[in-house]
Amino acid sequence: MKATFAERGIVALLVALIVIVYVFPYAFLVSTSLKPPADALTIPPTLLPQRLSLDNYRAISEFPSVQRSFGNSSLIALLCTGITLLLAVPAAYGVARYASWAGKLFLLAALITRLIPPVAVGIPLFAIMRSLGLTDTHIGVALAHATIGVPLAIWLLASFMEGIPRELEEAARVDGCSRLGALLRIIIPVAAGGIAVTAIFVFLASWNEFLFSLLLSSTGVKTAPIAIAEFKSQYSIQWGTMTSLSVLYSLPVILFSLLMQKRIVAGMTMGAVKG
Amino acid sequence: MRLTDRAFVLLLILPAALFLAAFVGYPLFLLLRDSFHEVSIYAPAEGIFVGWDNYAKALSSARVLGAAQRTLAYTALALSAEFVLGFGAALLFNALGRRSEILRTIFAFPLMIPPIVAGLLWRFMLIDNIGIVNHILEALGIIADASDISWLGDRDIVLFSVALPNIWLTTSFVALVLYTGLKNISSELIEAAKIDGASAFQRFRRLTLPLLRPVIAVVLILRGIDAARAFDMIWIQTEGGPRFASEILSIHIYRTMIRYGNVGEASAIAMLFMLAMLLMSAAAFFLIWGRGSAR
Repeated sequence: MKATFAERGIVALLVALIVIVYVFPYAFLVSTSLKPPADALTIPPTLLPQRLSLDNYRAISEFPSVQRSFGNSSLIALLCTGITLLLAVPAAYGVARYASWAGKLFLLAALITRLIPPVAVGIPLFAIMRSLGLTDTHIGVALAHATIGVPLAIWLLASFMEGIPRELEEAARVDGCSRLGALLRIIIPVAAGGIAVTAIFVFLASWNEFLFSLLLSSTGVKTAPIAIAEFKSQYSIQWGTMTSLSVLYSLPVILFSLLMQKRIVAGMTMGAVKG
Repeated sequence: MRLTDRAFVLLLILPAALFLAAFVGYPLFLLLRDSFHEVSIYAPAEGIFVGWDNYAKALSSARVLGAAQRTLAYTALALSAEFVLGFGAALLFNALGRRSEILRTIFAFPLMIPPIVAGLLWRFMLIDNIGIVNHILEALGIIADASDISWLGDRDIVLFSVALPNIWLTTSFVALVLYTGLKNISSELIEAAKIDGASAFQRFRRLTLPLLRPVIAVVLILRGIDAARAFDMIWIQTEGGPRFASEILSIHIYRTMIRYGNVGEASAIAMLFMLAMLLMSAAAFFLIWGRGSAR
């Protein structure tokens, strides 16, 4: 079927529109971060830097607390990923391999956590962490983030593990391997790719998380999104530095996402990438 | 000692189940308990039982009702825009077939941006008289002067403005999921309908839409939940202002607890919020999905 000239024109126009609306805002952010700080807000605004400058990036060194927040975020996201995998890998295997009412109930419970507004859990979580002495600690925030990570990881991992042929374990069992041995020596190595993808999603969910961090971290372990959000109130808005911080903060997310483009929708369905 | 299969499964699930019980289940229990108590954030152990008082207060507070209304409006706005634009894009991708690959990659780009960056970025672009959006509108002749629209300062439109980054960020998700659904519809079915003389519109209404119903249900429910729970993107743009005009429930609950220290009332509002979300998701599920499978 040949498309008419007009049809092709309309399609081309739609395509151009999508590209502009979807790429332009972020390109503008990157472009602004490369302008001299004073040019961040000009009337009228300019699309491209008149003069390239890294001053906005250099300015970050004046804010050691903001720099620390990137370290805090990395540490918390790593801790959260570790805790989550430790809990979710065996659970997902149990649910995927041995059909039982307990497993089904558990999957359903994990799904229902997706419906709960974070602020509802966040309020009492604050009190719990305080009584455990964990407010404003890396592990406290990481545990809170793991409440998002664990259900997400169980769902993702269960679907990966269902794809592994049962014969693999059966062969191992016949050869005298214990059930736990089969999990450790057969399943985990075979599912390594799926586990890696899950780990990245959990890491990103923690890296992006805002509300729990806002509730549970104060000066000690403030995470990057909170530091960036507070940046505006604390030092009146310095949009220049704000843009360079935003670019740096989104870099790991963009890099990881590019790695797993095909799977990003699966992760979003369980709420990994976006809160 | 030999374990039965069942005991082994329970043992595998147990650590994760205990974790979720301790850090999701127990908090929800505390939330329920606190919602019947007058609790101050400064002395959380010394609650006074007040029965349904917190609920009565919440349900008669104009500010809570306003926040509930805005949550509904915000969700409806974001969801309908994401759905219409996302569906349109999915149909376009489907029509382009293989050639849409690069376009889909570009379209997926906002999925890779952290929500607070999206919020900040749109705030930056929407600053009254110096934001790029107004200058583009001025250059296109749509508004006379760049200071004509105060996106984040005008109480009448701020709810729309704070929905923009949400729409920008997640339309791609809707589009990509719907596109996958469209691709799974057998092309023979569509061809057969074409031969039978069904017009493009008829094919869309009688074939595509009903077959896509389960996918549509999942997308609408997931995105609806996420839009209703939104916090960070709005917080970073306006913190709920000006004068509460963009204060949706999650922001109001946060404020009631942290700024006013009123844990009891915050818990009661959160309970009501959660209940409403569960009911609405269940209703949406049965209305959209259930009706389709009954046929």
